[in-house]
Amino acid sequence: MSKGTREITISPTTRIEGHGKVTITLDAEGNVDDAYFYATEIRGFDIFLMGMEAARLPFIISRICGVCSTAHVIASVKAIENAYQTQITETAEKLRELLLMGQIINNHALAFFFLTLPDFYYTSEEDPRKRNVFQIMREKPEIGKKAITLRNFGARIFEVIGKREVHIVSVIPGGLITPLKPHERESLLRLSESACTIAHEATALGKELFERNWQDFRKAGTCKTHYMALTQDNAMEFYDGNIRVVDPDGITQTEFTPEEFMKHVQEKTSPWTYAKFAYLRSEKLQKTVFQVGPTARMNTNTKATTEDANKELQEFKKKFGSPAHATLLFDYARMIDLLYACERTRQLLEDETLTRTDTRLKTMPRSGSGIGVVEAPRGTLVHRYAFTETGLLKAMKLIIPTQINNAAINLNVKDAAVQFIHRGEIKPGLLNRIEMVVRAYDPCIKCATRQEGDSLKIEIRDSRGRLIETSGGSIFKA
Amino acid sequence: MDLKEIPEVDLAIVEGGIRTEADEDLIRQTRAKSKLLVALGMCATHGGVTSLGNLKSVKKLLEKEYSLLKGTKLPELTDLMYPICNFVDVDYYIPGCPPMPLLIVHTLKAIANNKIPERHTSVVCIECRRKIIPKKLDRLYGIYEKEADPDLCLVSQGFVCLGSVTREGCGAPCPRAGFTCFGCRGPADSLLYRERDCYTLLVNVISSRTGIPEMTVKKELYRNPFIFHTFIFSRLERTKERERVI
Repeated sequence: MSKGTREITISPTTRIEGHGKVTITLDAEGNVDDAYFYATEIRGFDIFLMGMEAARLPFIISRICGVCSTAHVIASVKAIENAYQTQITETAEKLRELLLMGQIINNHALAFFFLTLPDFYYTSEEDPRKRNVFQIMREKPEIGKKAITLRNFGARIFEVIGKREVHIVSVIPGGLITPLKPHERESLLRLSESACTIAHEATALGKELFERNWQDFRKAGTCKTHYMALTQDNAMEFYDGNIRVVDPDGITQTEFTPEEFMKHVQEKTSPWTYAKFAYLRSEKLQKTVFQVGPTARMNTNTKATTEDANKELQEFKKKFGSPAHATLLFDYARMIDLLYACERTRQLLEDETLTRTDTRLKTMPRSGSGIGVVEAPRGTLVHRYAFTETGLLKAMKLIIPTQINNAAINLNVKDAAVQFIHRGEIKPGLLNRIEMVVRAYDPCIKCATRQEGDSLKIEIRDSRGRLIETSGGSIFKA
Repeated sequence: MDLKEIPEVDLAIVEGGIRTEADEDLIRQTRAKSKLLVALGMCATHGGVTSLGNLKSVKKLLEKEYSLLKGTKLPELTDLMYPICNFVDVDYYIPGCPPMPLLIVHTLKAIANNKIPERHTSVVCIECRRKIIPKKLDRLYGIYEKEADPDLCLVSQGFVCLGSVTREGCGAPCPRAGFTCFGCRGPADSLLYRERDCYTLLVNVISSRTGIPEMTVKKELYRNPFIFHTFIFSRLERTKERERVI
């Protein structure tokens, strides 16, 4: 950077989970030099959980994040079972998958209706006071009703099977404490019918708005990277299966079992953010940036096992190519996830063996290490633990989707900034456009830092790091 | 709303506690601009899981992987994790991890109607339908060490259930599902007196319901810092604020 440069800050970034901030540095000519998206807090879960007994771990670790608590619980018990070398029953596996589908429905309904829909629905130039889901509900009450019905369905799955709406307690190492009762299965099945209908309508609405804005959206940037997701016989999978990595041309580079995960991925910290980064590593792929999440799930798989989700997936691939790279496609792909999750939920609930009572096996503490991998709403989530022989936590490593996407988010933010800032002049709508790119990843900073803190910020700094402006709206006065 | 600054409001609901200097700033601003301030969730009301970080020093939290962070522009961490009442006056506390939706609705409705929200002062045991029958056991059991009897009090079965010291209001979903209460509503009113000792009380309860000598129970409980520190012992100004906890 040269002398006399300045820095733009967006803070807090609104409508994301957790507390983040964007800083853009400008060079002497007033053009974009660099851009960062970063987390401003840390809680230290990795440190203070040391010494905790394995049995207590899953439901305390779920407190990393209220939004994806169920995904964390499932990854956590899978890691513990892996360390204890326990194979749980088929009934327990199915119930856990159902819980995970509830997680996807609950989160994606939130992400679509509450966080991203306002961006699709109103233009970037719209008054920020109007750009929220409550305004949409005022104008179109039926959309609000659907949003809430769908989210409630996810919460209902947690309540019935997980025994609590947030931070479920029924999933334990060895299976589930309580089996599903026949009448509970039937009532969930009935609800799943209407959830499928709403997911269809939401997909149609999402697609319509997306197509209307596509010319504009595609300008928001593309990020050609590697992609990673779970896969089961080339089909989308959330609960089980292998991990597949495809390159920017869509060619499978490597496929491995969860046990091998840490051989392929490395973590890194940076001095300017409390969130960590994750890169691919192997002989071929040195420090390679990769992405996980909805688009990655579309890019690494060729099909979906449920009918309508598969149709949408094929249409997606036809329209945007495979792999698809445009950042805002995350929002589109998320709808396919949602549809799949609803259909898969119905499929699982139709199975009467789901109410069998063999949900629990006894586990014994033992020393060793284990790894648990699931597809969380934002992408591949990995928990790895090592235990002492009495079952106390000795070492822990978590690889969180937002941590993986961190590098790509940063590249994207820079890209968007370059488009909107020329010679020190900032075009209107920059703020929201950058937030949209960030929001496309639906990043969960709380997870990436295991932290809890403030929200998104834009700052303008000079080349020596001195703060010139902080915004909100004030950047437009710059 | 997509606003970047805190506007003047009638009611502010705050989640999360104070871990950085920037948070401290933000909570003071929020207090100044709102007529009523409600702390929602354990982190804001008592410190919660995040306050487990207080078992370690800030240096320790950062040293392993963030040693490079020195001299950066990130907000400095405070010495400890604090609930918001350490910095500002709080009008109502809704503890819980997570806080129960019904409690939120009731509190907000009461506030909207200018009434004082209904409080929950007793312990989880009164909402749990399990029968308390004293037993003779030879030791305590881990959370999943054996399958729980569906009707009998979990403590009588040798599990360390915190229902007898934890604030009611949740409807006891965990013990109903066969899982021990781990105190996510924080200490009940009676424990928010300076002289009351949570440990002694629970040791008493467990010992009388299981027939295990108090010394043995005490040893077991002291061995595991996570039993209490996760929720029950997190910070809340004990005597002053009691009557505002919902």
